[in-house]
Amino acid sequence: MDALIAKADAIQILSNDKKRKRHASGSSHPPKYNQAKASSSKTSKSAGGQDKTLTSVAARTALPKSLRNADDDPALEGVSSHSHIKNLKLRAQLNRTAQHAARAKSMRDDAELLLTNDGGRLHVENDMERTWRVGQDEIAQGAGGEAAKGRKEWRLDGGPYRCRYTRNGRHMAIVGKSGHVATFDWQTGTMHSELQLQETCRDITFLHDHSFYAVAQKKYAFIYDRDGVEIHRLKSHIEPTRLEFLPFHWLLASVGNNSSLTYQDTSTGAIVATHRTKLGPTVSLGQNPHTGVLCLGHTNGQVTLWTPNLPHPAVQLLAHVGPVVSLSVDPGGSFAGSGSTGVGGGEGGRYLATMGQDGMVKVWDCRNWKGEVRSWRARGGPGEVEWSARGALAVATGGSVNIYTKPTLTTSNSAPPPLYLTHPVPSRPLSGLRFCPYTDVLTIGHSAGLSSILVPGAGEPNFDSSEADPFERSKARREREVRTLLEKVAPDAITLDPDTIGRMATEKKLTTAVNETHDIPFLKLPRMERLRVQGRADETDMDGMDEDGNGEENGEGGANGKKQSREEREKRKQRGKGKSLKRYLRKQRKNVVDPTAVAIRAKLDKQRAEKQLARKIEKGEIVPRKPSALDRFRK
Amino acid sequence: MVKISVLQHAPSAHLPNRPGDPIPTSRNLDPLLHPFSRARERTRALNAAKMERIFAKPFVGSLGGHIDAVEVLSKKPGSVNTIASGSWDGGVIVHNLSQRSRICRIQGAHQGKVSGVCFAGGHRLLSCGVDSSVKLWDASPQSDEVSQPKPLNVFPGKSAFNAIDHHRSDPLFATASTTVQIWDETKSSAISNLTFPTSTETVTSVRFNLSETSILGSIGSDRTFTLYDIRTGKAERRVIMQMRSNALAWSPTFPTSVLLASEDHNLYTFDVRQLTNPTQIYKGHVAAVMSCDWAPTGLEFVSGGWDRTVRIWKEGQGTNPEVYHTKRMQRVSSSLFSGDARFVMTGSDDGNVRIWKAKASEKLGIITARERAAIEYRETLKERWKYDSEVGKIARRRNIPKPVYQAAKLKRTMLDARQVKEERRRKHTRAGESKPKAERKKVVITEQT
Repeated sequence: MDALIAKADAIQILSNDKKRKRHASGSSHPPKYNQAKASSSKTSKSAGGQDKTLTSVAARTALPKSLRNADDDPALEGVSSHSHIKNLKLRAQLNRTAQHAARAKSMRDDAELLLTNDGGRLHVENDMERTWRVGQDEIAQGAGGEAAKGRKEWRLDGGPYRCRYTRNGRHMAIVGKSGHVATFDWQTGTMHSELQLQETCRDITFLHDHSFYAVAQKKYAFIYDRDGVEIHRLKSHIEPTRLEFLPFHWLLASVGNNSSLTYQDTSTGAIVATHRTKLGPTVSLGQNPHTGVLCLGHTNGQVTLWTPNLPHPAVQLLAHVGPVVSLSVDPGGSFAGSGSTGVGGGEGGRYLATMGQDGMVKVWDCRNWKGEVRSWRARGGPGEVEWSARGALAVATGGSVNIYTKPTLTTSNSAPPPLYLTHPVPSRPLSGLRFCPYTDVLTIGHSAGLSSILVPGAGEPNFDSSEADPFERSKARREREVRTLLEKVAPDAITLDPDTIGRMATEKKLTTAVNETHDIPFLKLPRMERLRVQGRADETDMDGMDEDGNGEENGEGGANGKKQSREEREKRKQRGKGKSLKRYLRKQRKNVVDPTAVAIRAKLDKQRAEKQLARKIEKGEIVPRKPSALDRFRK
Repeated sequence: MVKISVLQHAPSAHLPNRPGDPIPTSRNLDPLLHPFSRARERTRALNAAKMERIFAKPFVGSLGGHIDAVEVLSKKPGSVNTIASGSWDGGVIVHNLSQRSRICRIQGAHQGKVSGVCFAGGHRLLSCGVDSSVKLWDASPQSDEVSQPKPLNVFPGKSAFNAIDHHRSDPLFATASTTVQIWDETKSSAISNLTFPTSTETVTSVRFNLSETSILGSIGSDRTFTLYDIRTGKAERRVIMQMRSNALAWSPTFPTSVLLASEDHNLYTFDVRQLTNPTQIYKGHVAAVMSCDWAPTGLEFVSGGWDRTVRIWKEGQGTNPEVYHTKRMQRVSSSLFSGDARFVMTGSDDGNVRIWKAKASEKLGIITARERAAIEYRETLKERWKYDSEVGKIARRRNIPKPVYQAAKLKRTMLDARQVKEERRRKHTRAGESKPKAERKKVVITEQT
């Protein structure tokens, strides 16, 4: 019988097994049979090698999450165990939250495998071949099928055209300088509306979806519905030059010749904010899709960043010597079209591209305005710039559109970046440039109409139906309209750093409890200080931790192994006469016009002058004036 | 030779194959495609918190019938829709909760108030009153209103009874008067008297433990809480507290845990293995707490107070209870959790028995799977964002009657002043002379065995 069972190779007699184990380990504790550890490598070495049943079952068995051992989950490696927290209940709760977050993150990473669609690409076989030599005819031929339909030419009268796509890339709105406005589904060719407005039209934008659009006309901005019926005349937007719609805040923003920036809530109709820029007519406008911050380009070469809740620009930057004719913020994807493998993982809204009247194209890093990352002179003079979702930059100058791509575009170098694609457009000027979301199509507006070209690798290949779906039906569109309206983000939430929401509030500085002289009873102290007096406050440094509990790598790595506590850092901080002001100024660069920097500079100058005067008086070079009764009348 | 591929979406992959099929959706979890995700989630949490407050309509209905204040409520074990109520007018009514109708009405069951009611298995009902008698009734559904049922049995006592409770399984019941007495249903006099040797108090309430069924707890006018065992037939232990308790309830799921509703506006849970200090103090009422009852899950309990409010507490969370009140509800003298933990019943001085939802914003009726999922998602959002100042403010805020609010404010001021004074006094006495005492240590004065 024993022999038979041994042959069957599955179940072994318990007594034999025990004996063998005792021989092997020689310890008093035989390895405990642990179901949860069955899948781990540790046990497979000790027991699994013997227990055939276990190994045969383990591969196909999944224990419920609640029974699993936390140590075995590879997703939970490096999750903080919060051992510094004494309260067991709180510690367990924090551990549970951190583990949940880590597990969710690993599952999110796994979900990348499910992305079906690959982006487009131009693949060269050897170094001698150049992608820019490939023309549009060749690309359209090579693409074939549905994709080739993206290559289009619209011959239209009525002068340089501008265009705009909806967020799902399905519908398109075009506007000609002399008042020709049309909206249509560009894939099926269904026209929604066509208007001849008979007056100067400068810009067009869709609102939350294709059922409404706003046109910047000669005197005011107007809102039309899908059928082209005028719905509203927005009299507070005077002589608008550029329009921008913030879809998550439901804000329509316009800049105009009267140097003001106006935000209007399109769900309630209320004017949220009107900022006077005091910088003359604004000629270009762009939005950061990840923060909702608007970038304005002015005629004096400045670029200013605005939010509705600040009456002055959040950032003011001298970008060009002449007017800033066009600007665009990078949506953040990494370019994979020319063979390099970079999928996902970019940072949204990091780079800003500007173009000046002098034909200079500059790429700025929005985290650090010290100087441009890369700049070059476009040969055809001023034009337009536009980033695609995957980080291709289209630059329209003179009679051609040039497309550059990401890794080379954002490396510091004085030479122009290598060209990815180029396409000549004979009808000057080129006035509008838009990438179509979720496709590889770039639409160029020019004096003789519009032309769409194919840019392989420019578009995001995998859309998310909950955000924007090119194949959305009318019912889904209605539901999404209601849902986005319910989730409308308050305009006050627009800040340079969008992560401020949901982050721990910074702790207030110690006021009373540190010095014993205060006369405030213990009971009346704030909670944190009461805890600190009792010695129960959690003084651990949480700088490196972010909400997901996986921020340790950047917190500890940089400090050469030794970490200073908050107090220590506060103590070591150098303090001196006006030193912080000087440090502040040193970090500020000349091209950033910041009102505080200007004030500090003036203050330092005044101090220096006073000091010099005092020194001279000391040396006797100057005889100090005797104070006179008439001094009171001096200004 | 350059290889060219251009992005294209096949429409067939994104459209339903046949009419009636669900429309295919696709997901991409790349954070770049979901801008403002955190801000939008916060807005959703804010909406969830607001929706909860919009739909918070806890009052379900009221059951009338008594012409004086309702003194006592009791639920039928093993039934979710039958409760009995006893009143100051001497009447007892058995209610059907689901139909909100009367099953049985006994007018003039006792002379004076009915001080205790409990079910004794089947349709039988025990009641006791201040007329020094315990009566056993048949409370089966009445055919007509006029016929007056006769008691099946009358147990005469020597002094007024204050409370009655039936044993979980045996035909025994306990009454509280000047002593605790154990009765057999078949015998006309008490089979044993239980009393603490030195006590001369009036016992105000008595309850059998629900799992250790021979253990009894009682509270008395001498600010005591006493434990008895009917097997040994004597009082085992008692504690004397700062203030007397008005009601007690044993936890249905955690046998050693007992809840006391105290005259000092607080509720206390005690672990009977460790009677020196309570396991938790529940602060919220602004007047004496008159009654309390556990939910059958043991995770929540309800209390009714002299301040005309009903509060629903989570076990282990000593502050921020759910507060119910109405304009016409007077002092709440009895409260009860329903057998399915979804409803709360209260009896008050205005003579009504009121039915409330245990969760104020819960939807009654059939809930579809999608709706259930949405409700659960909203719950999670509220939990996750409760520390956000705006969300938390909406979730925490309760409108309470002005007198209650003013009383709470005054109480807070007085307690703060007292504590500050204590602290100042300590500051000016010799160091180490007087040490601050934890709030939990102040409750019990002494423990006697």
